[in-house]
Amino acid sequence: MAVNYSAKEEADGHPSGGVGVPGGGAVGGGGGGAVKTRKPDNTAFKQQRLPAWQPILTAGTVLPAFFIIGLIFIPIGIGIFVTSNNIREYEIDYTGTEPSSPCNKCLNVSWDSTPPCTCTINFTLEHSFESNVFMYYGLSNFYQNHRRYVKSRDDSQLNGDNSSLLNPSKECEPYRTNEDKPIAPCGAIANSMFNDTLKLYRIDNDTRTPIPLIKKGIAWWTDKNVKFRNPTGDGNNLTALFQGTTKPVNWPKPVYMLDPAEPDNNGFINEDFIVWMRTAALPTFRKLYRLIERKNNLQPTLQAGRYSLDIAYNYPVHSFDGRKRMILSTISWMGGKNPFLGIAYITVGSICFFLGVVLLFIHHKYGNRNTSADIPN
Amino acid sequence: CAGEENWVDSRTIYVGHREPPPGAEAYIPQRFPDNRIVSSKYTFWNFIPKNLFEQFRRIANFYFLIIFLVQLIIDTPTSPVTSGLPLLFVITVTAIKQGYEDWLRHKADNAINHCPVHFIQHGKLVRKQSRKLRVGDIVMVKEDEKFPCDLIFLSSSRGDGTCFVTTTSLDGESSHKTYYAVQDTKAFHNEQEIDALHATIECEQPQPDLYKFVGRINVYHDRNEPIARPLGSENLLLRGATLKNTEKIFGVAIYTGMETKMALNYQSKSQKRSAVEKSMNVFLVVYLCILVSKALINTVLKYAWQSEPFRDEPWYNQKTEPEKKRNLFLQAFTDFLAFMVLFNYIIPVSMYVTVEMQKFLGSYFIAWDEEMFDEDTGEGPLVNTSDLNEELGQIEYVFTDKTGTLTENNMEFVECCIEGHVYVPHVICNGQILHDCTGIDMIDSSPGSSGKEREELFFRALCLCHTVQVKDDDSVDGLKKNQMSRRSCIYISSSPDEVALVEGIQRLGYTYLRLKDNYMEILNRENNIEKFELLEVFSFDSVRRRMSVIVKSSTGDIFLFCKGADSSIFPRVKEGKIDQVRSRVERNAVEGLRTLCVAYKKLTAEEYSKVQKLLQSAKLALQDREKKLAEVYEKIERDFILLGATAVEDRLQEKAADTIEALQKAGIKVWVLTGDKMETAAATCYACKLFRRNTQILELTTKKIEEQSLHDVLFDLNKTVIRQNGSLTRDTFSGLSTDTQDYGLIIDGAALSLIMKPRHDGSSGNYREIFLNICRNCSAVLCCRMAPLQKAQV
Repeated sequence: MAVNYSAKEEADGHPSGGVGVPGGGAVGGGGGGAVKTRKPDNTAFKQQRLPAWQPILTAGTVLPAFFIIGLIFIPIGIGIFVTSNNIREYEIDYTGTEPSSPCNKCLNVSWDSTPPCTCTINFTLEHSFESNVFMYYGLSNFYQNHRRYVKSRDDSQLNGDNSSLLNPSKECEPYRTNEDKPIAPCGAIANSMFNDTLKLYRIDNDTRTPIPLIKKGIAWWTDKNVKFRNPTGDGNNLTALFQGTTKPVNWPKPVYMLDPAEPDNNGFINEDFIVWMRTAALPTFRKLYRLIERKNNLQPTLQAGRYSLDIAYNYPVHSFDGRKRMILSTISWMGGKNPFLGIAYITVGSICFFLGVVLLFIHHKYGNRNTSADIPN
Repeated sequence: CAGEENWVDSRTIYVGHREPPPGAEAYIPQRFPDNRIVSSKYTFWNFIPKNLFEQFRRIANFYFLIIFLVQLIIDTPTSPVTSGLPLLFVITVTAIKQGYEDWLRHKADNAINHCPVHFIQHGKLVRKQSRKLRVGDIVMVKEDEKFPCDLIFLSSSRGDGTCFVTTTSLDGESSHKTYYAVQDTKAFHNEQEIDALHATIECEQPQPDLYKFVGRINVYHDRNEPIARPLGSENLLLRGATLKNTEKIFGVAIYTGMETKMALNYQSKSQKRSAVEKSMNVFLVVYLCILVSKALINTVLKYAWQSEPFRDEPWYNQKTEPEKKRNLFLQAFTDFLAFMVLFNYIIPVSMYVTVEMQKFLGSYFIAWDEEMFDEDTGEGPLVNTSDLNEELGQIEYVFTDKTGTLTENNMEFVECCIEGHVYVPHVICNGQILHDCTGIDMIDSSPGSSGKEREELFFRALCLCHTVQVKDDDSVDGLKKNQMSRRSCIYISSSPDEVALVEGIQRLGYTYLRLKDNYMEILNRENNIEKFELLEVFSFDSVRRRMSVIVKSSTGDIFLFCKGADSSIFPRVKEGKIDQVRSRVERNAVEGLRTLCVAYKKLTAEEYSKVQKLLQSAKLALQDREKKLAEVYEKIERDFILLGATAVEDRLQEKAADTIEALQKAGIKVWVLTGDKMETAAATCYACKLFRRNTQILELTTKKIEEQSLHDVLFDLNKTVIRQNGSLTRDTFSGLSTDTQDYGLIIDGAALSLIMKPRHDGSSGNYREIFLNICRNCSAVLCCRMAPLQKAQV
């Protein structure tokens, strides 16, 4: 029995892949019988003679590279930095945490307070805003990037799918149904939509002239036309189309009442709604609220002077230590105000240039002695 | 009889499946496997589970499987597809590759298992497939065929019951080896006779050592008591070896299939892992630790951050009902796993695939390399495993054998020395060998009459004391053909030394004719044939380093001739001009010649019968036969009378010097291991540029150790080497190119054994370390006078 046992053990304990010779183990000398006469092909590939290039880093190639990078990056950085600095930006925090703030009274507002708490903040623009002005609202300490929050939406419902409209995705929990009726639009994102109303007035000799704010054209074209669609059905009556659904818990009015005056800005394709639904990556973010277009070429869009901001304060942020801001900004060819990019370019360029100088110095002083040691045979 | 109590350790085989006559010892029949060779790992139905199991034994694959499963189970930030798909790809590609290789193995196995084998059934020759061979079958093998399994050699077509075998595919030695048939059966020459054989064989259980075998054959004649004969490794024909120069042989199968020594040897190979793979595994573990700690820290930070309720659950981001109810610890654990999944890319799957593919391609490039192609054999390099490609560039030490590797293993008899008189059979002129027709070139003055007697005895000794075979057929190529002899005959031997000696002696006038019916025939200088009866042969082995024959001359005198290395002969010599011979031997050794000493001893008839008895008892032992035989040899081989010495030149292999130089340039350290004398070996090393003129030789030899204690010597050497090293680093640091000094270490076997020998005070480990340290700092190490066992230790 000892025979069989040991033989079996050997067979089972076969090395795992170490002897990767096809037939090497079994044949033993068997493979040697067939004499291979074929000579390996003399091709560039098989003989590893394909053209290849390998950068050999020497002082002669590295030093100019450093200087060139430095000389290119520094002007680019300066250009970007200047452009960024030319952008006018004005920001007001209207959260009202300070007792002196006009909005302090509204700090502990709730969703359904009627009439809404309103407050007015006066401010002065030191410089005039020449080109088109973009009006943003900004939130801080608001985690739109929370995993539970980000997932809490039903894209097919927002795309106008009728079955999803009445039977939203499970991801929307706990904002999926209310009183046994499906919520449209469902989910935590839609439920927490920003609903402050901001109005801007110019104060000229104690007269308040409202500045026209354009609410269309603030959403991405693809979102507005492709991703978001109202449900389809007989007729264009949104009230009928949203039959059988209920409004999100926190909303004062249903989705089809967002902008009853303009049918192409109502329901799911309301641009304020679309902008909110595109979630921000960081807890401090700004979202486009309105556009202020330049009227004529003679006058700046917003002259320097006194202005007042009327706020219908509905959105509570105090419970999670949040902040609310209103931002006015112009843009340039490179987008909004962003001094960082220019600084980064200038820094990298300067470091490269500096290193180039240092290396040139080292090379000049010590370079000649080590040339033979560079390439060991 | 030892068979009864240790039957488990031995097996009993009925030759030709004949039951022993009743009344013989009853054996429990054992079951033996058939002669099927299985080298494939998988069968059709176990491929998928077994292959998957093997693949998931790799840490990386297992890790990705775990990640994939975690992703399937918990609510993960990333989809399971992201890790499942690459894993599936890797597993599939590897499985296809391994499956293909296994399929090739299956094909090779089948080819082997189905190749026809002749064997004898009821007195007739039958052809059957190899895999149907059973233990106990009598097999016939023809010339140039491979043995289908391990056989006990019963008889051959050669009258003297011998056959020649090359074991190239087993141990790489291409020389012909002689095997001997069992005495009682070597007379059987045809199928009927063989079939009539009635015998049982007892032998040990299969073991992988190729050179060890002990067994016993019991031959039954009619109703008589069985005749027991010893079986040794000289009777065992191994699977994989090839029959040469013998028309056909008969043998009985004793080990078959996976139990043959060849199969056992292949299986015991362990999987080699390359240094890259090892370090990759280390890094894998390190990164795994980083990953786990990262996930842990993140989990802790997560709970610290959301300890304030407005962060955990602000009004705009309420939890669902099941989330609220979930156990805190379970939740924390799930979060931990989620972080693991999130950060799992720290260990890249693609790296393994890339490395694997790169190695696979690399092995093909090696095989395709035109510069590695050998025009003579028409073979390119063969890549056995793609796992170790990158190791090739990292070889630091090369261990080489002197004989046959550095040198051609093609011996030339150069001179001999009898009692201090030197005889040179030929002179070499312009690379051509001019044979000295008159016979002997005397360098010294002609010896006296007693010298004459000794001289003749010396030549006779050389003629008799060997295992050379004579082959009359001159059509066989690959063997050294003797053009000098008047009859065209070829000497064949397992050792080229012996051939060279016999040929040299032939030039001196004594021609060895043949071995016929245990009589060795010699043609002496007067063209008379002298006959000697060969009584015993104590074959050469590397531990004793000598061989002996006992012969009976026609006048009835019994001589014991012994031939061997000087170190093993001199201590056993009783009389003779030792000093003269020794000085000559040493001079020859310095010239790089291989030297052998010859001695003899006259035995009386009583002495011989005593010897015979001793030998018989030792040979019949089943256990420790080797040891007992060695003891007997030790007893017999002593009190010699020294005759003289011979010198044989072993030429350097073509381009050996260039190769070694190139190796040293590449920073590879060469160790030469040899059994030759120190002077011989050192001369060879100089010749092949292993040691150069500027090499400082450090000697660690017995002589030196006798002078100082081993401890001091080692420390001295260590200091020298290290000092050199220190100055070397300083030199390179200052950027000056120095002519770096090489160190060559010469160490001999005795010193080595002193170092390796474990001491009672436990300082041996210390010595070993120092020794290793010295060796590492030497560019060349020459170990001479080494027994093969020591070679293995090094």
